[in-house]
Amino acid sequence: MEQPVIEVKNLVKVYGKRSTAFTALKKINLEIQKGESVAVIGKSGSGKSTLMHLLALLDRPTEGNVIVDGIDSTKLKTKQLNTLRNDDFGFVFQQFFMNPQDTVLENVTLPLKIAGKRRKERRELAMKALRTVGLADRAKFKANDLSGGQKQRVCIARAIVNNPKILFADEPTGNLDSTTGEKVIKLLFGLQKKGVTLIIVTHDEDLAKMCDRQVRISDGKVTEDSASQSKTSTKKPKKSTTKTKTAKNQTAKGEN
Amino acid sequence: MKFFDILRTANHNLFRNKVRTMLTVIAIFVGSFTIILNVAINTGVNSFIDEQTASLGGDNFIMLMPSGSSEMASSMVASSEPVEFVEKKTGETEVGAFSDEDIEKLKQIDGIDADSFYSPAPLSGTGYYASDKTDKKYEIQNLMILPPGNFKIPLAAGELVDQNEEAKKKNQVVLAPGYREALGYETDEDIIGQTITIGIKNEILDKWTAIDVEVVGVEASGIVSSSMGTLISHAVYDALADAVYEGYPSEYRDNQPNYYIMATYDTNRFSEDEIKQAIADAGYEAWTVSDMMGMIRTFFDAIMIVFTIFGSIALLAAAIGIINTLLMSVEERTREIGLDKALGMSSGRVFTEFAVEAISLGFWGSAFGVVVAMFIGTLANSAVHAPGGFLAELPTFNLFEFTASNIIPFMIIIMFIAFLAGTIPAWKAAHKNPIDALRYE
Repeated sequence: MEQPVIEVKNLVKVYGKRSTAFTALKKINLEIQKGESVAVIGKSGSGKSTLMHLLALLDRPTEGNVIVDGIDSTKLKTKQLNTLRNDDFGFVFQQFFMNPQDTVLENVTLPLKIAGKRRKERRELAMKALRTVGLADRAKFKANDLSGGQKQRVCIARAIVNNPKILFADEPTGNLDSTTGEKVIKLLFGLQKKGVTLIIVTHDEDLAKMCDRQVRISDGKVTEDSASQSKTSTKKPKKSTTKTKTAKNQTAKGEN
Repeated sequence: MKFFDILRTANHNLFRNKVRTMLTVIAIFVGSFTIILNVAINTGVNSFIDEQTASLGGDNFIMLMPSGSSEMASSMVASSEPVEFVEKKTGETEVGAFSDEDIEKLKQIDGIDADSFYSPAPLSGTGYYASDKTDKKYEIQNLMILPPGNFKIPLAAGELVDQNEEAKKKNQVVLAPGYREALGYETDEDIIGQTITIGIKNEILDKWTAIDVEVVGVEASGIVSSSMGTLISHAVYDALADAVYEGYPSEYRDNQPNYYIMATYDTNRFSEDEIKQAIADAGYEAWTVSDMMGMIRTFFDAIMIVFTIFGSIALLAAAIGIINTLLMSVEERTREIGLDKALGMSSGRVFTEFAVEAISLGFWGSAFGVVVAMFIGTLANSAVHAPGGFLAELPTFNLFEFTASNIIPFMIIIMFIAFLAGTIPAWKAAHKNPIDALRYE
């Protein structure tokens, strides 16, 4: 069997100290295969955001391991974690998190600037990413002057500018109306076709159904994982990449 | 992230909040402006004092006097107590002057250069200066033979007469400051090469002698050098002395009392205090350059200290301003910092970025301070030297002197202070947790 791109073992996350301690995650086990699209679904406070933060190596677990590409992240130094995030991960946030006073281009080049790439290379890669999201003509605009949908597409451009292996999206359509949301969804699944692993945190069932796999979190535990119900479904994403949205929806329904 | 990127980002971030940045820069500007002006005055005063010192022959210069001279000098100012009269033995030297034995004894003191002894025999008497540019005549000052080459006298124009055998035979003078205008010449340069007349009276024969002399230089006004009087070549001295002492016994002319002797000492082996002690042990007194300059320096030093305190207080306030500005900036940019960190920026880089912002604030504040101080200093320099200005008589005294060596270290210090102030907000920014920062609304 192929090595999972992210593997989580007995993940526990406790916030606060003894008397006020709150266990957000209780022994989570998860394997995510390369090229998969995974929806992490859960209500507010269920622990889904915490799980994403740990998967994305933004936070360290209290117990357990997060293994990225066979490397145990808990054994890495902060500096190596930073590099790993910068090289392999892309992030799309619900609130966009753009620097509003900077231009679109400057926002997109940020990960490359952090990586220490040269200006010329930064520009080229950023323009390529902007072309992918169809906003190359807005490169010189101030980020603030864009519409919500455009902002989210800029965020996607920023997330893919470093050619990541895994793309984390936290409620990527949460702030968008249905039409612009669809555009963003199309973009995200288009990336999956190119081999990017998608991890989408959402409480939007429709979006979740479009993913190859749904992981439900409740009270810090995985209550349902579509992959564990039918082992074959984990193999599907690679084949299903060319399939239509409806086909995927049907698969999702069947598993529900 | 490359350093250049950090620098660009830092200045870009500063520019984002123009008003706040500008106010902080102004705060730093006030402090740095005060201090840089102060530093410039300090440099100006010290280089002037150094120049004056050089006119006395440098730091190794020492003036030797018979014991009690300084008390005598002060007793002339203070209300004199009656002094009991003691009859002196015949042949004993006049009080306050050196005998030949004294000079021999002084030459024996270890460390004093016996060859350097220069005892300017002043020629005094009734006399005048005159020129064909004016009908008026002006009373003569102390006439002194030009000192040897190690006494560097600052000149406003012309050059010092080279005291070789050839030059000693020429009738040449270096005029004391102030006489040029009185003698009817517009500028210091105009009088160079011109001939003026020195007239002197022989008191016993009641006879006037006038000799024509060429003006080869004009002394620069100074605190010390103005007391040098008119410097005359050997030929002029001989001619005037012939006139003044005609009819006197020849011993009288040859035995003019030496009231003081200028000499140099070995500064490598002796400190000022040590050489003064050695001279005091021999029964004489000595004045060093520090003694002469001490008063002036003390006066200016006191002013400097006051201004430095003002400037430092302003800078302290500015440093708190930097802390405040950057702390606000950290709060405002919490989310941005979180994003940077989520995207893989290390805490060290975040710290550096804010530290560089602080240093940039320091740089701009001090740079404006320097530019404005130089502008005002230059204006002030020309104002105080303009006719009627309080330094009009001291043309070589630049009140404000700006040099790379006084500006650059000062700017580095300000930038360092700014950096220190910036460490608090930078530390706060660097320790923001990316998740908390991203959640922050």
